[in-house]
Order: sequence, then structure tokens, then C-alpha cells
Amino acid sequence: MAHNPSPVPSPLLSVRGLSKHFPVMSRGFRPKVTGVTKAVDDVSFDLAPGETLGLVGESGSGKTTTARCILRAIEPTAGQVIFRLPDGRTVDLASLSDRALKPLRQHAQMVFQDPFSSLNPRMTVGDIVGEPLVIHRLARGPELAERVAETLRRVGLKPEHRVRYPHAFSGGQRQRIGIARALIMRPSLIVCDEATSALDVTIQAQVLDLLKELQAEFRLTYLFVAHNLDVVRNFCDRVAVMRRGKIVELAPTARIFAAPEHPYTKLLLSAIPSSDPDVPMNFGVAEELAKLDR
Amino acid sequence: MAYPAELPLLEVENLSTGFFTEEGVVPAVDGVSFSLMRGRTLALVGESGSGKSVTAYSILRLIQPPGRITGGKILFRSARAGEIDLAALGETSEALYKVRGGLISMIFQEPMTALSPVHSVGSQIAEAILLHRKVDQAEARRLTVEMLGQVGIAQAEMCFDQYPHELSGGMRQRVVIAMALVCRPELLIADEPTTALDVTIQAQILGLIKTLQRGLGCSVLLITHDFGVVAQVADDVAVMHHGKIVEHGTVRAVLKNPQHAYTRALLEALPSRRVRVA
Repeated sequence: MAHNPSPVPSPLLSVRGLSKHFPVMSRGFRPKVTGVTKAVDDVSFDLAPGETLGLVGESGSGKTTTARCILRAIEPTAGQVIFRLPDGRTVDLASLSDRALKPLRQHAQMVFQDPFSSLNPRMTVGDIVGEPLVIHRLARGPELAERVAETLRRVGLKPEHRVRYPHAFSGGQRQRIGIARALIMRPSLIVCDEATSALDVTIQAQVLDLLKELQAEFRLTYLFVAHNLDVVRNFCDRVAVMRRGKIVELAPTARIFAAPEHPYTKLLLSAIPSSDPDVPMNFGVAEELAKLDR
Repeated sequence: MAYPAELPLLEVENLSTGFFTEEGVVPAVDGVSFSLMRGRTLALVGESGSGKSVTAYSILRLIQPPGRITGGKILFRSARAGEIDLAALGETSEALYKVRGGLISMIFQEPMTALSPVHSVGSQIAEAILLHRKVDQAEARRLTVEMLGQVGIAQAEMCFDQYPHELSGGMRQRVVIAMALVCRPELLIADEPTTALDVTIQAQILGLIKTLQRGLGCSVLLITHDFGVVAQVADDVAVMHHGKIVEHGTVRAVLKNPQHAYTRALLEALPSRRVRVA
């Protein structure tokens, strides 16, 4: 089913026909290309400034690959990623050379899933949060220290935490460090790749609240990659449901949950265990998924 | 030996498990008491660090030094082996080997780490049968293939000779379940059995555990942080916080009408129950 990329007037990000294909190699002494896996297959959508778009799907659906292609963490096979810079110019991130891309990277940042593996254990928190400014030569000396302290304060940590190492922090605090590292660049787009998936529910709620506050304060736009539909429900303005590299449905969050159109979206929603014992879940989702493919 | 129906299968009384570190004793489980009736499912729910997994590990005596059970009783009333206080068993006693995998078995969160990567799926399951039952190799293989069929693996005969890396996450968890249930345990401890899985796979695995439990008549102690899983699968629930059980009751009573402030806070933090801040 073709979905409507729902164009918005003057989008911050406009993804058109984005694809990432991986070659499938044969086994043996001289591997040959025997096919392709279409991890991302002709994905298109728009992101309005200040909006939060949820990208949901099961593992292997291509949601993380899509997010990484947009930030050019991996090279897309085809497609356009039109990004509006703060000065109003638009650039195609997918076709820029690495050299031309580097100065633009500050505008689009990423927060990763695992707050344990995404922070270098040998660097202090201050060095981790300040590193992007150093790499892009945007601040040094006392100014750098001041901006690190201010950003730490803004995400709910204390400036004196900057001399500590990541191991001294809990999962929720580490995720705040990851957010600070993204925020310090004053980006317009933050891609959150399962940013709260590893956290306990109460911590998850706090981190989501923080992200909301920061969004209002800095006019941030989020691309929120998640496998947990429940999280997306209260956090995103619109939701794109991915399956096998394609977006099968993209609609405002309320509509996705109240009146899903695509049969896959309906199945996915029916499999969520409700915390209300009177709302039964669908244990037979496997058979119905198999029917969907027939 | 049969016990009157009103005596619980598992009765944990004032269980305490501490970890002895250089900075002092960390009381991970601090005077926990609960009971599990035959044929029922009890969910132990809490956040990370609440002591729910340590409680489960204590029951099977899987706590490693510097951790140790410091007090309490774990009464297990087996229909096959009589009443055993698991907390009092010796580390290397014959009885403990009989309990582990035979009378009580466990499903772990991460199926890839619970399975050996260098043994075929079938040989790992058959090993459990050979340890606990007096059968020969051929019979163990037959029982294994039958069990793989019961957990919904279509080509069970072929699966016997496959290795864990050849299977998907959902299939691996089915294998782990098959391994846990093949000796017909009276109690199954499931430690976050679906946390690493996608929702659609989770639904299948939870459905499978429910069906098999009914078919085999075993009790289940379900360790989870997910109130959705609790509501859909368990009969009773105990909420843990800082090593203590703060609330205990039927699923309906606790989820519909939580009495303890911590339970209420946990439920309010659920994304599905939060009111959207505009």
C-alpha cells in the first residue's frame, strides 16, 4: 500500500525515495553476490519544524537503518534527504561529499539506545559532552567549560559532575549525558534511536519529560525511533509504521491508535499487552501475520 | 505424595539475601514472604534493582558469592519429592541437583546466553532428560523432538540438529522453554522471558507459556518489569521495591485498585496511562 508522505509546508527534513540495499553473498571460498536485502526500500516522509515523528517497527523492519542513513552514519543506496539549514538554505544530505557534510553535522544530532556502550568509559563526563564542540572548533577554554556546565545543568545534572566518569552514573543519568552531548551543538534535529528503551518505566517517564521540555525551549525537531508503541503514543505528533524496509502507514498519533488503517498496524497494536486485565491481548498474532503475507 | 490443595506449592518465608561487599552488606532481598499455589501464576514485578531477580535466583540457589542467603525459609512442597526447604539445602547436595531442572526449572531473559553456542539444540535439551530421567539416548531424542513440537516448532526433527545461531530470537526462546519443561517441572521460574523480544513474538511466547502451563499443570513464577505482561498472564502479583514486597494480591485487585503509593507511582509512569502534556 502506498502511503501519503503528508507533505508539510517548509519542512525541516524531507526524505524522498530513501533506500539502503545490502548485498547477500554466497557462502564459500569465493563469495558472489546472490541477491540484495532491501533494509530500507523507497522511504519518503516530511518532518515539520518542532514536530516529533515516531518511527516504529519490529526488529529488522529498517527503522534504525533509515535513521542512520538520514544522518549519513551509513551511506544510503538511493534517495534524497533534503534538510533545511538554520539560515534557510536547503541541502541534500544524501549526496554531499564527506568534506561538505562535516560542518553541517552540528545541526542534526543523535541520541543512542544503550547509555552504557555509547559513552566512552575512559572519558570524563565533561570531555564527553564538550567533545563535539572541540571537534567542530566551536568553543575552547573557559567558554567550553561554561557551555558544558550550562548544558549539564539544563539536562538535570550538576556542573560538578563533569569530572566524573560514566560508570558513576545510573542508566537514566547516562542517558541525560547522551542528551547533553547532542544538545550542546544546538541542533535543529535530534534523532533518538530507542533513547528510552533500556530504562525503567519511572526513569523513562522522566527522560521523556526532559525531551519534551527541551523541545519547547530550543524548538527541537525529533525523529523518534522506537519499537515500543506505548512510548510513542504519548510522545509523538505523528507515527510512521515500518515493516520490511517500507513505511506501511503514516498518520497522526491519535489516528494510528484509534483507527489504524493498515492490517499490519492493527496486528501490531493488538499484540501490546494492556496493563488493564479487562482488555485482552491477541495471543494468536503469529497466525494472522502469516495470513497477511499470503 | 499428594498435598491438600490449600497448602501452597512454594512458600517463601522472610527470605533475605545479601551481597557482602567491601563497603558493607547490600540487602538485595530484605525479609520477603510470599506463597504460590499449585497451578497458578505469580508475577514478581519491580524496577531494576528491586530484588525480583535475586529472589528468583535465591529459590534455585543460584546466588554466587559475594552474595548469600542470610535468612528465611523457601519451602517447596513437591508432589514427587515431598517438602524441601531449599534455603537449607547444601550447595552440592544431591537433592539440589534433583530440584534444579527437574522439579523447578528456569527460563532466562536472553535466550542466546542461556543456550550453548557449540552444542546442537537437541543435544542440550536431551541432556536435561538424561540427567533427570532413566531413559536411553534414542528415547531422549524422541522426547526432545516431541517437546520441540509442543513449543510450536514446525520442523522439530530438523531443529534437533540445528545450532542456536541458526534460529531467530523467538525460536531460541521456544527452545529454552522446551528445555525448561521437558522434565515436567512442578514450578517454572520465568525471568523476563519476553523482554528481549518484539511485541508480536512476545505475544506468541506468552500465549505458549500460558497454554503449556495449563496443559502440564505447573505453577509459574514470572519475573517482569512490565505491568502489561502481568495483567495478561498472571493470576497474582507481588510488587517489589528496595528488596521488600510492598503490595501483594490478585492481579485484578492490585492493578485496578493499588493500595501502596509505590505501586500507584509505577502504574502512573506507564506510557499508556500518562496524560499527554501538550
